[in-house]
Formats: sequence, C-alpha cells, structure tokens
Amino acid sequence: MTELTAKARAEQAAVRRRQWSAILLMYGVLLSVATILLGTFLFSLLASIKRDPLEQPFRLWFEQIQPTNWVVAWQQGRAGANDAFWGGLAPGGSVVFDVTYAAPVAVGLEEPDIQIPRRRPGTGMAAVVYQDFAADHVADLEIRRIDDERFTAEDADGLMQEWEKATWRIAFRHDGEGPRLERVPLTSAAPREQFLVDATLPPSLMERRGRQASWDNISPGVLGYVLNNYRRVFKESIDLNTGDSLFLSWTRNSFFIALGRVLLTLTLATTAGYALARLKFPGSRALFMLLLLSMMIPVQVTFISNYLVIRDINLLNTPWAVIMVAIVSAQVLIMKQFFQSIPREVEEAALMDGAGYWTTYWHIILPMSKPALITITIMAFQGAWNDFFWPLVLISSPSNAFTLPVGLLSLRNAYGGAGDWSLILAGAFMSTIPVLIMFIVFQRYIVDNPIASGSKE
Amino acid sequence: MKIKTSLIAGLALCASPVFAEDVVRVSGWGGDNIVVVNTLLNEVLADELAEAGIRASYEPVEGDFAQNITNALSAGTAPDIFYVDSFWGYPLFASGRIATVSEANQAVADDIIPALNEAFTYNGDLKGIAKDFNTLAVQFNKDIFDDAGVDYLSSDDDWYDFRSKLQAIQAELDDVDGLCVVPDYARFAAFALATGWTPINEDGHTVLDDDFREAFEFYTSLVEEGAGVLAADIGQDWTGGCLGNEYTAVSIEGAWMVGFLRDQAPSMEYDTVHIPRHPGTGERGNLVFTVSWSVAADSDVSESAHKLVELLTSPKAQQWVLESGLALPSREALGDNPYFEQDDREAHMSRVVFEGASDGHVEPFAFGSYGESWKSIMDEALGAVLLNERTVDQAIAEAQASYDRLTGR
Repeated sequence: MTELTAKARAEQAAVRRRQWSAILLMYGVLLSVATILLGTFLFSLLASIKRDPLEQPFRLWFEQIQPTNWVVAWQQGRAGANDAFWGGLAPGGSVVFDVTYAAPVAVGLEEPDIQIPRRRPGTGMAAVVYQDFAADHVADLEIRRIDDERFTAEDADGLMQEWEKATWRIAFRHDGEGPRLERVPLTSAAPREQFLVDATLPPSLMERRGRQASWDNISPGVLGYVLNNYRRVFKESIDLNTGDSLFLSWTRNSFFIALGRVLLTLTLATTAGYALARLKFPGSRALFMLLLLSMMIPVQVTFISNYLVIRDINLLNTPWAVIMVAIVSAQVLIMKQFFQSIPREVEEAALMDGAGYWTTYWHIILPMSKPALITITIMAFQGAWNDFFWPLVLISSPSNAFTLPVGLLSLRNAYGGAGDWSLILAGAFMSTIPVLIMFIVFQRYIVDNPIASGSKE
Repeated sequence: MKIKTSLIAGLALCASPVFAEDVVRVSGWGGDNIVVVNTLLNEVLADELAEAGIRASYEPVEGDFAQNITNALSAGTAPDIFYVDSFWGYPLFASGRIATVSEANQAVADDIIPALNEAFTYNGDLKGIAKDFNTLAVQFNKDIFDDAGVDYLSSDDDWYDFRSKLQAIQAELDDVDGLCVVPDYARFAAFALATGWTPINEDGHTVLDDDFREAFEFYTSLVEEGAGVLAADIGQDWTGGCLGNEYTAVSIEGAWMVGFLRDQAPSMEYDTVHIPRHPGTGERGNLVFTVSWSVAADSDVSESAHKLVELLTSPKAQQWVLESGLALPSREALGDNPYFEQDDREAHMSRVVFEGASDGHVEPFAFGSYGESWKSIMDEALGAVLLNERTVDQAIAEAQASYDRLTGR
C-alpha cells in the first residue's frame, strides 16, 4: 500500500513537473517573442532619438535619455529663450555654459578656442530652412577661467601624475534685435593632450580627432534635447511655396487614402461577400472562381493598364487614384466565408418578419460580423498605410501630395546620402504609430465572436 | 452714341492681346533638388518666366529616376523637361523620344564646357544642355596629416608620391588608414585614364592593354601596400564616408563632398587637390559626371520648354547655382568667377573640381549603349582582385573576355 502510494506520488510529481515545464516553455516562448518584437521597437525608438543612430557599438544609455541632462536642458532653455521645452535663444535671453579641461601639469593647460560657429546645413531642405544663425545675433560674449584645481591621477601607463583642471565659463546674450534662434551651436578646440572632462551638457560629437568638442545646441530645452530629430522632421520637410510642414501633409494624405481604402474595401467586401455567400444567381460559382484567380495575379501585371486608365480619367496625382486601386479579393473571400458561418436561421427569422435582403444585410448580418469587419478594416488600413508601390507610381507631384512612405523616401534621398539617418528614422518611427494604435485599440474585437452565443444548434 | 462708344470699347478689349501662360512640366530628382529647382523657378528666374509667359511646375521623382522617366516616356506621360544623366541617357537618345536642342539654344550650347556637350551628343545631334557637372578630386584631412607628421598632399603629386604619403600615415597612426578603396570604376578611372588608356576605342571595343594593367595593379594593390583599406572592411561603401568619419586621411570624390562634410564633419580642417598625375605621362585622369536638361520630343509646349531650358542654363541661373554651393555651373566662362577665388575650403574644392573637367585625360561617365553592363564588368574585376578571389592576370583575362562578348570584338 505504502509502495503504491509512493508510486502514485511519484507519478503525480512527474505529471506536475511535466505541466510546469510545459507552462515554463510556453511562457518562455511567449516572452522571447515579445522581447524580440518589443526589443526591435525599443531599439528603433532609442535610435530615433540619438544624434547618430548608426553609432557603433550601440549604446542603450546615452546622453538624451539621462534625466540629469534633461534638468540642465530645461534650465538652459529657460535662460536662453524663456522656453524650457523647446529652448533656443530669444531676445532678452542669455546663456551660460561651462567647459572643464584637464591636462598633466607637465603639459600645462591652454585656454580652449571657443566659438559659436555659423553652421549652414549642407543637405536637404535644412539648407533653406535655417537662414538665421546664432553666430550673427550673439552679444556680450565673455569667456573667463573660473576654477582651478590640482589632483593626482594615474595615466595610461599606470604612473601617478599631477594633473591640473580648469573650467571656462562662456556667457552671452541675444543682441535683442534679431529673430528667435532655434539652435545655439558651440565648439571648443584644445590641444590633443588636454582632455575635456566636464561640461554643462555633454558634447554632441568630438571632431578633429579629439581636438574639438562640438555641441549642436547649448540651449536646447528638454524636448529640444530629447526629441530634436522629431522636431527636425517637421521643420526640415516644408512646402517651399506655402511654408507648411510636408510631413503633416504626408500624414494627412496617408490618413485620407487609408480611410478611403477602408470604406471602399468594407463596401465592396461586404456586399460582394454577402452576394456570393447567400444570393443564388447564375454564374455565381464562376464569379467566385474568377475572384480567386484575380488573387493570383501580381499587381505588376495589371499595373500599366491600370496606370493608363487612371491617366485617361485624369486622376493621376490625386489621392482618388490610390484609393481606387484597392484590391479587395482577399477581403471578399474573408467576408464570404464569414457570412457562410452565420446560421441561416437568423436570416430566415428576419425574412419571416418581412425583412428584405438589404434590411437583413444592413440590420442583421453586418452588426453580427463585427469581428470580421474589424479584421478587414485593420488589414485594409494597414495595407493602405504601408502601400508604397501605388502612391509612388500614381502621385509624383507636388511634394505635398505624397503619402508617408513616399515622403520618407524623399527624406531618405535628401538626407541619407549625407549619412544623416536620425531624421529619417524619427520620421519612420512616427509613421508606425497609427497602425500600432489601431492594433492596440481593436485587437480585442478580433478574437471576440458574438455568433458563438447567438445560436443554439 | 453711348451704345456705339461702348461697342467700340468692347471690341477693343476683345482685340487686345490675351496673355496665356504655357505650363511646362519639369522633372528631376527629389531630395534637395526640390529646393534647388524650386528656388530657381520661383525666385531666381521668376521675372524671366513671367516675361516669357511660362509657368513651370517641378515634379520631383523619388526612387529610380531613370526607370521613372523611361516608363513615363513609354506611357506618354513624360514631363516636358527633365534630367538626363549621361550614364543612362544613350538608350533614350536612341529611342527618338528626346528632342534635339533647338536652333535658338545652339548658342547656349556653344558656351558650355565642350566635354559636357560631348556627353549628350548622339549621332552628331545635341540632345540636352548640361545643367551642371562634377569631376573627381582628392580631399584630405589636414589634422590627420599633422598628427602623422606627413606633408600635405599637393596637386603636383604623382601616383607614387600619393601612395607613399598614405603609407606614411598608415604606418604612423594606428586608428587611421590612407584611402578607402572601393571596387568602383567611378573612382578607379582617375588612375586608369591617366595612363592614356581609352575605355571604348574608336572601333567600339574595350581593350585592357598594358596601360590599363599598370593602373589596375596600382589601384588594387593600395590595400596590400599599406596605403588603404577596403571600404567594406570598415563598414563604409564610399570613400567620402570614410573621410567624413575620420577613418581615412583622404577621399576621392566630387564637389558633393561640400554638403556632406558640412553636416557630417562641420569642423573638419580639410583641403582639396587635383587627382595625382601618372608618373610616366605626367597627365591626370578624370571622369565628368553630368546631367542635362532635355526636352521631350512630343512635348505639347515644345517652344516654351526649349525657352525654359535656355533660362535654366542662363548665366544668371548658373551664377546662383554656383554661389549657393550646390552644384558646379556648366558654362565655361564661369570658370573665372570670383567665387572660385575665395579663401574658403568649400570654394577651393569647387574650383579644383571645376578645373578637373579640362585637365588631362577626361572622359564622360558614360558608356554608350552598353551603360551599366560595361561598368559592372569592370567593377567585378576590381572586386575580385580586392577580395583576393582572382589574381590580376585572371581578373583582367576574364574581364577582357566579357568585354569582347559585350562589344562583339
């Protein structure tokens, strides 16, 4: 008896072990998938904030996400432009900035060559957007050495050496007459034997083989510091005739086209799907086969004829052209299958009550098809939002008529050649947000199925 | 009487000339070309366009421009004026879908640098007017030369001076290489052409002779000789990227480096010299990269389109293009422009690149009807040797065989 109990216990324990390992395995897999998916998302978000998204090795903890720098950026923005969020240098504003260098006493410390450079952007629309430079509007520039200290430290060869450390304070104000300046760059050059050990904000980059520290903006404001790439997306893609942000136009166009496509898809897919599922008419089977066949034809095969038709009806370069080329065979198929899964009794009950096909379709069938409708809505929206081929071919001008993917290509052409990927990445990241929100909001409806509780077999 | 007067006034109004505008569709690259062309059309040339009764609308093409224009020409939706790159223009010229430069614009063509007109001449007819151009030059980072204690490059350097300076830098500094070597004819040509070698000879064939071999060996041995690094080995794909990131001391690029360095390395202390001379001939080699304004043969507003090309290549427009630092003008006379004489590293680079078009053995970056097929054979040969997949002999023999098949030799 005791032996049997022991055996049963062992078996129970083995079952429990197996259950736990299955649970652990399942959660492990789910967590890994989530980590990979979220990890990619997180990496692209971090990269879109960095000044150089291509930096190697990739740092997860960098200047723009350090709260101590946010505080300083906030203070600098307030002092420079009375704008703690977006910073800059405005009339009435003044900026103070410290740089600290250290060098072995034997080498000696030299005063760094500190400049507020006149930085003209070289590529993209930035070349015409930025016409005002801080260098032209700075007044009472004062640089003085404020602090000296000596300390002992080990050098690269492991020898103890006496070092000298000094801080230079740079102070200036806006001349009071010029415009509000978005960026105040600063450079500080010193001999290579002299090291920059501290500064009010960390330098944006070290240039000239370590000789020169460069700051893109010493009065950035907290958002200007963290989200500068995002600001650039809006500032550096503008319509030259109107001054409006092209990125906003592209976003609007993408929304309009996606909405148009969704409505067209819903209309066509539900009506055609319902007709194929429920109506008896000659050739319905052949029509269904034709529909399946159309799914197998690549877009490129019919592209030229579609393009010529759209050209002849004068819809080129309009959003209607892109909305019109919606291909809904797959969605029709989904809706047909879904409608067929709805028990006929429901419709028959409606018919008994005197409802016609249209009333049944509109008042009975569609409300019951919410999960399928949401699924095809998401599919259509995502397809239209990410569509690249048709907008590229059908909308070539003007720039403000582009959709987001084509607009992003335009940014890539303008800035990618110069290796300036930060702005492109920020734009690309923003373009993913609507689809993401849509999934988050609607995902619970996709799995929800009211039909299961709507009929008793 | 009143009625009569009104009638006469009405008739007079009807008879007065009606100023109708011709809408000319202009197409070119997207990106920062949108800024350049729009500023030219809306600001620089606004008065002239109004006077000529032309309204120009710029339609930038994002993506593959050549493919787009070819498709548009086939579909009959091509713009009236568009860019044609000398590299892929030949098949379009041969198709007859591009108009020959008008009689009136022949005078404009006479003022253009001859090498540029050559790039757009098909069967004796000029098919476009060069809007701007670029050649190759050597840009170098002065700080790196200072740190290595090596003399700066000079326009008098020959191949061996150039190589020995790069070797000295690489030997002295651990973290910097001399030059990024790329398997690309568009850079190698600077050496190959200097020997006097001709890519496609008078018979229409490519002969990889001893002159070619000398340049090929020199270029592909730069890495082995300790004067360069394979660009791909340091995660780059062009020589400019290597210089901009301070991975190498020099780059061989055109004036497009001005904008790139402004953004990538705004404080870099750099200078520009001409391509090194061949030690034997003392000549330099260079390529001319150029794009024309061409007019569609079936344009509905052909006359206005030709007029717009004239305005876009006028001295006023080209002066603006030059001073904006965005491109080099194609007009020969602008070589004496005071802009080039400024004591400024950007203006100096522009001057060296401008002079490159008429210094030594200069060829357009174009390979007739062979286009990309010709270049890819050369790039493959360079890549095979640089990656140690083939010896110089094997690579040249294989490339020669490919060229013979391509050109029917």
